[in-house]
Amino acid sequence: MTLVRDIACGRSGDKADTLDLTLVAIGEDEYRLLAQVLTAERVRDRLAGMIPAKDVEVYPLPALRALKFVIRGALPGGVYASLRPGLHWQKAATYALLDMPVAQ
Amino acid sequence: MTERRFVRTIAGGAGFAGDRIDPAVRLAASGRVNAIGLECLAERTLVPGLRARRLDPSRGADPRIARRMTPLLGPAVANRCRIITNFGAANPAAAAAQVAALARSQGLQRVRVAAVTGDDVLHLTRQIRWDGSVDGDLIGAHAYIGTDAIAAAAQEGADVIVTGRAADSALFAGDLLPHLDGSDDALAGAIMLGHLLECSGQLTGGNFEAPGPGALTAADYACLGFPVADVMRDGTAEIGVLDGSPGRIDRLTTTLQLLYEVHNPGAYITPDLIVDFSNVLIEEIGPQRVRVSGARPAGRPADFKVSGFVDRPGAVADVEFGFVGIGALDRARIAADTIRLRLSDIADEDIRVDLVGVNSVLGPLSAPGSDRIAEVRVHVSARFDDAANAGVVEDEAFGLSLSGPAAACSFRSETRPRLEIVNGFVARELVETTVEWQLS
Repeated sequence: MTLVRDIACGRSGDKADTLDLTLVAIGEDEYRLLAQVLTAERVRDRLAGMIPAKDVEVYPLPALRALKFVIRGALPGGVYASLRPGLHWQKAATYALLDMPVAQ
Repeated sequence: MTERRFVRTIAGGAGFAGDRIDPAVRLAASGRVNAIGLECLAERTLVPGLRARRLDPSRGADPRIARRMTPLLGPAVANRCRIITNFGAANPAAAAAQVAALARSQGLQRVRVAAVTGDDVLHLTRQIRWDGSVDGDLIGAHAYIGTDAIAAAAQEGADVIVTGRAADSALFAGDLLPHLDGSDDALAGAIMLGHLLECSGQLTGGNFEAPGPGALTAADYACLGFPVADVMRDGTAEIGVLDGSPGRIDRLTTTLQLLYEVHNPGAYITPDLIVDFSNVLIEEIGPQRVRVSGARPAGRPADFKVSGFVDRPGAVADVEFGFVGIGALDRARIAADTIRLRLSDIADEDIRVDLVGVNSVLGPLSAPGSDRIAEVRVHVSARFDDAANAGVVEDEAFGLSLSGPAAACSFRSETRPRLEIVNGFVARELVETTVEWQLS
């Protein structure tokens, strides 16, 4: 089974209540596979339970072999209003995608 | 026809207020760098400055200025390396005066320090279009200013330029602008470069994991090289680290930083320009070296973004305690359920109970590998409209050590104010930036 992390790297960011996730594929073929599998709907379903259910904006970037996911309202009140332990849990949010299966 | 003539070398010397100090000192002392940008002001780190300035109008700058500048100022002045930084925080003029005084105390003469002011827009509150409520105590409102005043100070030969809230990329682009060809393409390139450099080690292999070889070791991370860019007149650049410094800079690390927190990569909004990153070209031209080009202008924003800081009434309680040994996870789960029963009068959306080591970060997506874990911690956070009630979480947690599952241990408890950051927009013509000078 191939996981996203086998063919891509990722980083999480945030601004106010918006969560901002990036994946960069290691090659052209890997990018095409990711772009095909990681649709807005699939990502929204995957992140259910981790963040409030919100629409996912997807920006495919074929020239950069990268995908950008923007989820507005994912961090209600901003990162400092979070009730999770410590500050900046969202810096690990991209691992929710990296650990996801992408192919058999 | 673009002109790829080298004009200037600029480096990223800090990516947050508490960032390492030694990498910037190494960059300045190398003699290879014309300017270093120090990004030292996150949304959060402006707040202590605002609180300090309320008590004493002469305060409000970054409290780390002396620590950061004492080892850096001498090598920077000796090598004619300009420092551009937002560590002015809530009081750039005071920060500039502090830097000039430090220069005098080090025997450095005629050091020209520019303070850029005007980002504080609290007086414009009514003209700001807020995204959310600023009810409560609005302790500050700061606009993200662009390159205008920074570039003006650079053109007049500032050795150190101190700002408050400026776009992070503007610290770098403002220094570069007087050396570029004047086109919007070059400005777009400079803004992209600033965006790449402003997170220091995040461009050179920090906060990075990828499949395949090339992982950095603890020794590499401990002295990670911060990024250095050789900039061309057309705004394109070649980026690497100082010779001999550990670090990884390739297509993957550069693309991750290029896209970091930009939201729509086709329209990255900065005060000077909206920039399209979607067709940027990142060429690996050496083992630790990339060439970046292809950022394009995509319009100019009518407004500046504003961050408003609101102290809401009440407090957040944040408490943790642990369980160890065989059965630790079972006892932790029972303790978590017990706490939830004891605090059942708190609404679901105002309390969170989770297990550190199991599900506290990604929730259901942090799947544990095994139930036989050696140690686990129960974490409870709750928000209260009345700060006086927040202590109940700590009391209930400690209460479990007498009336709950066996051997709850290692308690930690804190109470935080309920600070919220509210975004807004203000018409750019309402924001007037000025430059004030200090001479050592």
